[in-house]
Amino acid sequence: MDNASKETFNGASRYVLDDELARIVNISMALEMPLLLKGEPGTGKTMLAHAISEALNMRLIVLNVKSSMKLVETLYQYDTLTRLNDSRFSDSTRDVSNIEEYIKMGKIGQSFVSDDRVVLLIDEIDKADTDFQDDMLDVLDQMEFDIIEIDKTIKAKNRPVIIITSNAKKDLSDPFLGRCNFHHIAFPDQEMMRRIINVHFPEISSDLLESSIRAFYRMRDFRGLEKKPATRELINWIRALRADPDFKVKDLVKGEAPYLGVLFKKSPDQAIARNAAARMRI
Amino acid sequence: MFIDFFFLLRQVGISVSPTSFLKLQKALSIGLITSLDDFYTAARSILVKSERYFDLYDQVFAHHFKGAELKEPDEFELSQVARAMLEEWLKDPEGLADALDIDEDSLNKLSPEELLKYFLDRLKEQKEEHHGGSKWIGTGGTSPVGHSGFHPGGMRVGGVSRNKSAVKVAMDRRYRDYSQEGPLTQAQIGEALKRLRNMVPVGPKDEVNIDETIYQTMKNAGEIEIVFDRSLRDRLRVILAIDNGGWSMDPYIELVQTLFSYARAQFKEIRTFFFHNTIYDKIWEDPPRFRKPLSVDDLVRFDKDTRFIILGDASMAPYELMATDGSIHLEERSLKPSYERLRFIAETFPYSVWLNPRMSAEWPYTRTINMIREIFPMFELTIDGLEKAIVHMMGKK
Repeated sequence: MDNASKETFNGASRYVLDDELARIVNISMALEMPLLLKGEPGTGKTMLAHAISEALNMRLIVLNVKSSMKLVETLYQYDTLTRLNDSRFSDSTRDVSNIEEYIKMGKIGQSFVSDDRVVLLIDEIDKADTDFQDDMLDVLDQMEFDIIEIDKTIKAKNRPVIIITSNAKKDLSDPFLGRCNFHHIAFPDQEMMRRIINVHFPEISSDLLESSIRAFYRMRDFRGLEKKPATRELINWIRALRADPDFKVKDLVKGEAPYLGVLFKKSPDQAIARNAAARMRI
Repeated sequence: MFIDFFFLLRQVGISVSPTSFLKLQKALSIGLITSLDDFYTAARSILVKSERYFDLYDQVFAHHFKGAELKEPDEFELSQVARAMLEEWLKDPEGLADALDIDEDSLNKLSPEELLKYFLDRLKEQKEEHHGGSKWIGTGGTSPVGHSGFHPGGMRVGGVSRNKSAVKVAMDRRYRDYSQEGPLTQAQIGEALKRLRNMVPVGPKDEVNIDETIYQTMKNAGEIEIVFDRSLRDRLRVILAIDNGGWSMDPYIELVQTLFSYARAQFKEIRTFFFHNTIYDKIWEDPPRFRKPLSVDDLVRFDKDTRFIILGDASMAPYELMATDGSIHLEERSLKPSYERLRFIAETFPYSVWLNPRMSAEWPYTRTINMIREIFPMFELTIDGLEKAIVHMMGKK
C-alpha cells in the first residue's frame, strides 16, 4: 500500500492511490473492460475517475444514474418538440426534414462519438433497475448502438475507459458482474487517511492531524450510527476546525468535539455522537 | 494455466465463471501480469465479483500459491483476538468469564498486560486442542472471535467486539446473511413478483405526450399545442418481515434468500424487518435483532396501503403466541400477547399476507399455524403460493 505505483496510471495531485488499485485500473484498461468499484460512501470511488482523467489527460464524461432513467436517454435524445416547433415557425437554421439535426447525444453517446479517448464515469449504477444495467452493459460490450429514428448505427471511435461505481444498496445481476472487473475499496486505515489528509492540507500541523484522525476513527465506531462519517466529512471537519480561531488542538485531546454537524448529517446520529462523546470525556 | 486454482476457487464456493477465467488467461497472454502480486490483484478483480468472497479468495490464494494451510490462525491473529477479548473483558467481565468458564475474581487482580498474556495463552492452548475445529477461536466457521483481516459486509464482527459476549453471539448464529445471492429459481420468483406493482402517475406534468401533442396540434390547424403528462412511477411500498431465528427456519434458508435477494432488486421502497418465531412489541431492522428495533406501535405511521408480507413457519409453542410475556427471549418482555400484536398488524395493513415455507398439507397439524391463519391469509412459499398471495395483495380492498 505504501509506495506509489510506477505503472501507467499512478495517482493525481489530489488523490492518494494505493498500489493495488492502480494495478487493477491498468489491467482493466488493457483488457478493455469496465471497472466496477464498490465500497462505502466516501472511499473515493468517484474521485478515482476524476484522478484517472487528470492523470492520463483524458476528458471525463460523468453519467449520474437516476432511478427513473431509461437506457435510451443515456445514448441519445430525439428532440421532437424543437422539430415540431421548427416545422411550425420556419425561423431556425435547421433542416426540418433532416431528423439527424434533432438528435442529441446522451452521456454514453458523447463518449462514443468523441474524437479522443475519454473516461466515462457511470456513477451509482445501483440506483437503476436491473434491466437498465444489463442493457447498458450490452451497449458497452459491443461499443455500438442504433438510433432508431434515423436508422443509423453509432460505433465508438475510441473505446472509453469505463469506471462504474456502486454503493451496494442492491446486488447487481450476475451477467452484469460477469462483464466487469471488480474491486472493493475498503475504508482507508489510519495510515492511509493521514496521507489523504496531507494531500489536502499540506501545511497541517501534526498535532491537529493526529488528534483529529484519532477522534474521527473513534467517532466512526460509535454504535448505532446510521451513516458513518466518511473521508469527505473528515476533510470538511478539519477545514472547519482550522477556520475557527478559538479552536485549540488540546480540546480534541480532552475529548471535546466541536462542529459535530459537519461529521454527522442525520439528527439521530448527531444525538448519538453527542452522548457518546460526552461519555468519552468522563 | 492455473486450472487447479480455478477449480479450487469454485470448490470453496466462489462463483467463478469460465468466461472470466478466459479473461484472466488473456490478461496473462498479453503480458500484463509479471509478478505474483500482479496476479493476485488481477485474478481477484477479474474472477471475484463480490467483496463477500474476498476473504475466502485470500485463503485459497495463500493455500494454492504458498502452500499455507487453510483456516489456521497464526500468532498475529491470535494476538488480535486476545486484544479483542481484553476489550470485551473491560466492558463485560462477567459475561466473558462466564463464557470462557474462568474465575472472574482471580482475573480481576491481573493488570491489562497480564490479562492479555493470559488470553493469549488460553488461545494457544485452545489451538492445540481443537485443531482447525469450529470452536470459538477458529478463523473460519461461525466464530466472530476469529479475525482474518479484510472482510467488510457488515455481517461479521471480525476483531471488533460488540456489546454481547462474543462467544454467546457466535453460538447464536446471528450473522446469517440473507442478502447472499440465492439459487437459480430467482428468475421464477422474479416473474411472480413482477406483478406486484402499482404504477400511478405522480409528480409534475413533465413528460410530453407526443401522440396527443400531434393530435391536438392538427386539431388546432397546425398551431402547436403541447400536451404534458405525469410520468408513471411504481409507488408500491412493501414491508417484509422475516423470521430469521431459531432452528425451525433453517431448512428454508435458501428459499428465503431467493425471495429476499429478488425483492431487494425489484422494489424501490422495501423495508425489511426481522423477528423470531412471532412478533411481540418490537421488530428489528438488523438481522442479529438487537441494534435497530422498531416498536410495532410505530407501524401505524406507515402508509396503510403498504403491502405487509410476513415470512415464517408460524410454528412455535402455543404459549408463545397466546400468553402475555410469551417470548422465549428473556430480555423481550411485552404487555400484550403476540396474538394481539399480529391482529393489530393485520388491521393496520389491509394488504398483508403470511408466507409459509412449510407445505400447506402440513399446516393443520400445527396449532399455531391454524391460529395465525385466522389473522392473516396464509400462502405457501412456492411459485404457486406466491402468485396467489400477489393476486390477493393486488385485489381491491
